[in-house]
Amino acid sequence: MAEIVIEHVTKRFGSFTAVDDVHMTFADGEVACLLGPSGCGKTTLMRMLAGLERPSEGRVLFGGRDVTPLPPRKRNVGMVFQYPVMYPTLSVAENLELPMRHDRSVSTAERKRRVDEVLDVLDLRPLAGAFIEQLDAGSRQKVAVGRAVARQSEIVLFDEPTTNVEVNAKLQLIRAFKRVTKRLKQTIVYVTHDQTEAMTLADRIALMKDGRIMQYDRPQVLYGQPTTEFGGWFLGNPGMNFIPAELDGRGIHAPILAEPLPAPASPPRGKLTLGIRPELVRMTGEPTQGSVGAILVDQAIGIAGRYLTKAKIGETVVKVNTDGRPPAALGGAVHLSVPRDRLMLFADGDRVS
Amino acid sequence: MSLQFQGITKSYGKTVALDALTLDVAPQSFTVLCGPPQSGKSTLFRILVGLEMPDAGQILLSGRDIVGDAPAERPIGYVPQNFALYPHQTVAQNMAYPLTLARFPKDEIAARVDRTAGILSITHLLAKTPDQLSGGEKQRVAVARGLLKDAQIFVLDDPLVGLDYKLRERLMDELKSLREELNATFLYATSDSLEALTMAQRLAVLDEGRVIQDGEATAVYHQPSRARSLDLIGFPNANLYSGSVTDGTVTAGPLRHPAPGLDEGSAVIAGVRPEHVRLNPEGPAIGTQPARVTLVENLGGEAVVYLDLDGHSLTSAIPLFDRAPPEFDSTVGVRIDPADILLFDGTSGQRLASSP
Repeated sequence: MAEIVIEHVTKRFGSFTAVDDVHMTFADGEVACLLGPSGCGKTTLMRMLAGLERPSEGRVLFGGRDVTPLPPRKRNVGMVFQYPVMYPTLSVAENLELPMRHDRSVSTAERKRRVDEVLDVLDLRPLAGAFIEQLDAGSRQKVAVGRAVARQSEIVLFDEPTTNVEVNAKLQLIRAFKRVTKRLKQTIVYVTHDQTEAMTLADRIALMKDGRIMQYDRPQVLYGQPTTEFGGWFLGNPGMNFIPAELDGRGIHAPILAEPLPAPASPPRGKLTLGIRPELVRMTGEPTQGSVGAILVDQAIGIAGRYLTKAKIGETVVKVNTDGRPPAALGGAVHLSVPRDRLMLFADGDRVS
Repeated sequence: MSLQFQGITKSYGKTVALDALTLDVAPQSFTVLCGPPQSGKSTLFRILVGLEMPDAGQILLSGRDIVGDAPAERPIGYVPQNFALYPHQTVAQNMAYPLTLARFPKDEIAARVDRTAGILSITHLLAKTPDQLSGGEKQRVAVARGLLKDAQIFVLDDPLVGLDYKLRERLMDELKSLREELNATFLYATSDSLEALTMAQRLAVLDEGRVIQDGEATAVYHQPSRARSLDLIGFPNANLYSGSVTDGTVTAGPLRHPAPGLDEGSAVIAGVRPEHVRLNPEGPAIGTQPARVTLVENLGGEAVVYLDLDGHSLTSAIPLFDRAPPEFDSTVGVRIDPADILLFDGTSGQRLASSP
């Protein structure tokens, strides 16, 4: 059992609070990504899991065991850092084997078997006899992943391991990681600032901001059902639209709505916005049921040849992802409509049901 | 103010950095030069602003060749890739420098510094010195400084490289608005084709020191005139395979297309964009070929699906707003409409008409 429990953990550096009362559980065998902008506290939180930092308050438990006072070497965790830390004059196979040599519970035969397994799963067999210093950064990181995993410690921690790997090798590394985590059932915590990496690798993502966990959910849920404006903004290329809204006796009004939305049961307080992702806004050349008029003010080809456009309803700019060319020229009139059941209401940055 | 590069050539020893490069830059446009690293973008910019001399060629500014002019005589603002900020001056002083040199009135300098700082979101940094700034902040200050010159043409050499995605998103918008506000010509270099497509009104594709295609960004995307244009422009990258004509059919990687009146055995490059590689996630069905999913990159609104089709690597891009991505290691059905396959001469790289 390798469940990780973070119990009301806070970390302060002088007057600065890097991690602010984080309280959560990473389930046994899951891949959890800590994702957030630089300065959000993800690396500090990871370092406390590794034992490289002590919490100012709170405890860390691995499989029910309180590891808070323990240094890294007593915690039985594998680690992969941004810079592969390896013995350059030893071969790939020797590097993979090394951490296990000190583990008396692993027989020589078992050691060889695990090295074999990792060489295969990570597609490193052709390089088994090569010396580390002969390998490029991407291959070295693959070996680092293999070594951390071959140890079969219950928990493996990754700290932005693809940072120093060039683009083509990065994909290989991600693929290798997926294969490895599918096969072996370790609990993994992976720190990254790259949303695509997190969305691709994680069973669940812990989205962090200012030392706090804003939301912890499966990638599709985090993307489709953000509980904060920050979540809607941070995930997605580009992020969610937030359209200013107002509440009165007739319901919720916003420039994107032809008819007001029914007000929620308990009226929310604070600054209201309606969130809708650019790919969910429909743009047509002619009016449709429930559409509002807008002017097309910007367009450019984006990911996979879809167009990212901007249309203005009065002073409100709405980002719209269209499948083909927009139905008007720049400066021309278009019509926008949204599926009302996909609109999300936020009050002062928090989602309102 | 028109700007034309004519036959610009530059070599460093045996390395040809620029190969008779010719380009007309449309006045008051946002023109992006997009090419892989080492394709000559920075060299061209350094020659344009006068930091280097070309071996041959002319640069015509409003019809007059400026190749002999000193840098200070050229009315061109420059944001270089490797910038140096004066360490003992504040951000505001660093930014004001080009205008101070040109002896602008102090209150006008202050007004311009404030406005440009606002646009680049660095107002809160104006009183700081460079050692107090993060890498990203220094980068924004360098961009601001380059933009303050009283000029009608601004040259920006990959100004957003290395900045985090959300900051880049915001700054791209700001730079576009700034160009409109100044009604100046922006000549912008990047090796990120998605950034190029977002920013460009006109897109010039640079490869090995030459402009291989230039035009409206959407035209360059949809009608690549060379295999290399298809290769370099677009995200995810297009699928390209070298092949040949066999029994009247172009066979290149996993792609098949009727050969458009070509000789048997002639070399052909065939390409298809990932958005045209259609997937049936439930598996192979009539009219589809089976392929194994080797990786799925989840971009939120869409997914990039890496496939193995008969031993060939193939990439597909699918929208995700109402479906889940296919499973890692699963088998899916792939269908490619021959009308979406683009053909190029295997030797010259020139686009071939798809039908005879």
